[in-house]
Amino acid sequence: MSHWIELNIGPVHPATHGIYRFRVKLNEETVEDVDITIGYLHRNAEKICELNYFVNNTIYFDRMDYIDAMNMEVGYLRAVETLIDMEVPERAQWIRMIMAELSRIAARMVGIGALGLDVGMLTPFFHTFHEREKIQKIFVEASGGRQEVNYMSIGGVYQDFNDKIIEEIKEFIAGFKGKLEEMVKMFTDSEIFWQRNVGTGVLEPDIALDYGVTGPMLRASGIPYDVRKDSPYLFYDKVNFDVPIARTKDNMGRFLVKVEELRQSVRIIEQCLAKLPEGPYFNPKAKKSAMLLLKGQGDVFTRVESESGEFGVFIRGDGGVKPYRVHARSPSFKNLAVVPIMTKGSLIADLIITIASVDAVAGEVDR
Amino acid sequence: MSILFRIHQWFSFLGNIGSYGIAYLIESIIVLIFVALSFIALIYIFRKYMARIQRRIGPNRVGKFGLLQLIADALKLVGKESILPEGRDDMAYKIAPVIVMIATILAFILLPFGDLAYFGSLAVTHSKVTLILMFGILSIIPIGEILGGISTKSNYALLGTMRAVAKDISFEIPMMISVLAIVIVSSRSYATGAAITGGLSLSSIVANEVIPYGIIEPLGLLIFFISMVARASYSPFDLGESDSELISGYTTEYSGMRFGFFYIGLFGMVYLSSFLISVLYLGGSNGPYDNYVGFIYLFIKTDILVLISFLIWVSIPRIRIDKFVNLGWKYLLPLSMVNLVYAGLFVLYIR
Repeated sequence: MSHWIELNIGPVHPATHGIYRFRVKLNEETVEDVDITIGYLHRNAEKICELNYFVNNTIYFDRMDYIDAMNMEVGYLRAVETLIDMEVPERAQWIRMIMAELSRIAARMVGIGALGLDVGMLTPFFHTFHEREKIQKIFVEASGGRQEVNYMSIGGVYQDFNDKIIEEIKEFIAGFKGKLEEMVKMFTDSEIFWQRNVGTGVLEPDIALDYGVTGPMLRASGIPYDVRKDSPYLFYDKVNFDVPIARTKDNMGRFLVKVEELRQSVRIIEQCLAKLPEGPYFNPKAKKSAMLLLKGQGDVFTRVESESGEFGVFIRGDGGVKPYRVHARSPSFKNLAVVPIMTKGSLIADLIITIASVDAVAGEVDR
Repeated sequence: MSILFRIHQWFSFLGNIGSYGIAYLIESIIVLIFVALSFIALIYIFRKYMARIQRRIGPNRVGKFGLLQLIADALKLVGKESILPEGRDDMAYKIAPVIVMIATILAFILLPFGDLAYFGSLAVTHSKVTLILMFGILSIIPIGEILGGISTKSNYALLGTMRAVAKDISFEIPMMISVLAIVIVSSRSYATGAAITGGLSLSSIVANEVIPYGIIEPLGLLIFFISMVARASYSPFDLGESDSELISGYTTEYSGMRFGFFYIGLFGMVYLSSFLISVLYLGGSNGPYDNYVGFIYLFIKTDILVLISFLIWVSIPRIRIDKFVNLGWKYLLPLSMVNLVYAGLFVLYIR
């Protein structure tokens, strides 16, 4: 007869960055079963999107993966612009790319910092947030918003890059390169960090594929799948970057993949800044007065690579000014589903790190 | 002439028992006030120091340079509502934080503080067995932790208590064995080779510590330091707390000043462990020139150790419980045995 206790990790708990609940069946320190309850942050975003004009919906996508808002907007707009056949000027596309990569860096900073918190190191968290703060200042300069930016719109972006923003981005990139290595050293110099991450939370590639896991989790299981490479959107086919993979399949692999992706993001931004052309930042066809009259007909499903994986948006238009149905395929939702498999039989401390390395965002899980 | 004896002389009109009683009382109060003041300074330094490491500013609002922040925090803790969990064991719940705090503070009285210029020896206790008393008092603290954890009937607290007990058991033995090695080394005078009695008193250990024992047995210093980090339970070994998985471990259900008592116990233990390390391994109140101001020497050594402890605290992640218990039983225990044998051989042959 085994003696077990049930431990609630969540809804309000230091280890769940967001609101979801793990009901953990514990045999002393060993995890026997994990039951995930979600829905605490369900805000009906998909249904609300049906009630709005196409152009009004970006703000609801901002609030899905709220730490990676730019990529959410890129995801939604890729679908809408395909549906209503809207051309986007070149400069706007490059600007979107820069912003998407900056947002990816900002989101990773949260993820890596939170991993440090869960391992028990408070210090890197402040350093990562310091860098994130710089990115948010750039966002404020460009859009007026820190986190829920609402920067992009159908046919372009809300505001052109001026010299000050470009200067700020260049300054940030220059400082970030060294700072990133310093932050990574904080983790990897620590023997205990390796001890706790290596060999814990192992995710086999076939299970990952079965569950639809994407993003750094899939790449850390050894499958080099990245939407930016495999089905390029914006101008990702015109820049050079690598898709890192890890063969260890564990938490350390995931951490190192995320870190390498940060370096690649920096590389992409540098190339974008070099190639940024002059020109309009907004398609005049989508001018303010005509914005609400944009009509869409048919089904569209497009994907982008957000910080946690493949973010897909499905939109069905019935020829009206509002979408008939909007659905978001959220990577966090799929990624979170494998946590019970990854942590069965491990210690409770490993479960916490695995949750942190999955990096699921509650707003995206529940939508 | 010790400060205790001076006070005794002032009150000699009360008779022997009365005057010594008052002398002990007054000196204990002096020591405790000193401990409390340095404790406030310590937490202030810790917060500023941690903030610097973390690219923050730290407390700077209350008082000049935020010096009064801790007092403001203490007032806040006192003024807070004490939330009592349902289904608790009332007696155990209420007594646990008091045990932890009192035991920690009590242990300070046993320390050999050394001389301070005109005042003479500051040590309160002149017992022959202060070493044993010290570790006896230190082993009261886990009782408070266990009572606090189990009495609340919370699963987080229960797991935290289990971890705290595992931690205390697996590091108590290496710690005691390395202390035993100290006793063996200090049993003979370094200069003359004559046997010394009173090796179980901290004062006589320090008196005989011409060369710091940390130089004679560095392995013992290492083991004792690690054990003391575990005993004070800060960052790499804060398993009883484990704030990312168990919220706050055995203190989860505590709030207000009762939580503050645990907090005082934690910081007091950091300070006390630094004192013990400098007394047992770094020469205590023995300094390079004259022991006339031995207290200052001890204080400097201790504060450097406290800063090192804080550096460890903020920069090292928490170790997992199984690796931690492995470290205690598979590495530290055999190493401490080796150290013990080495200490014996040292006394016999090298000295």
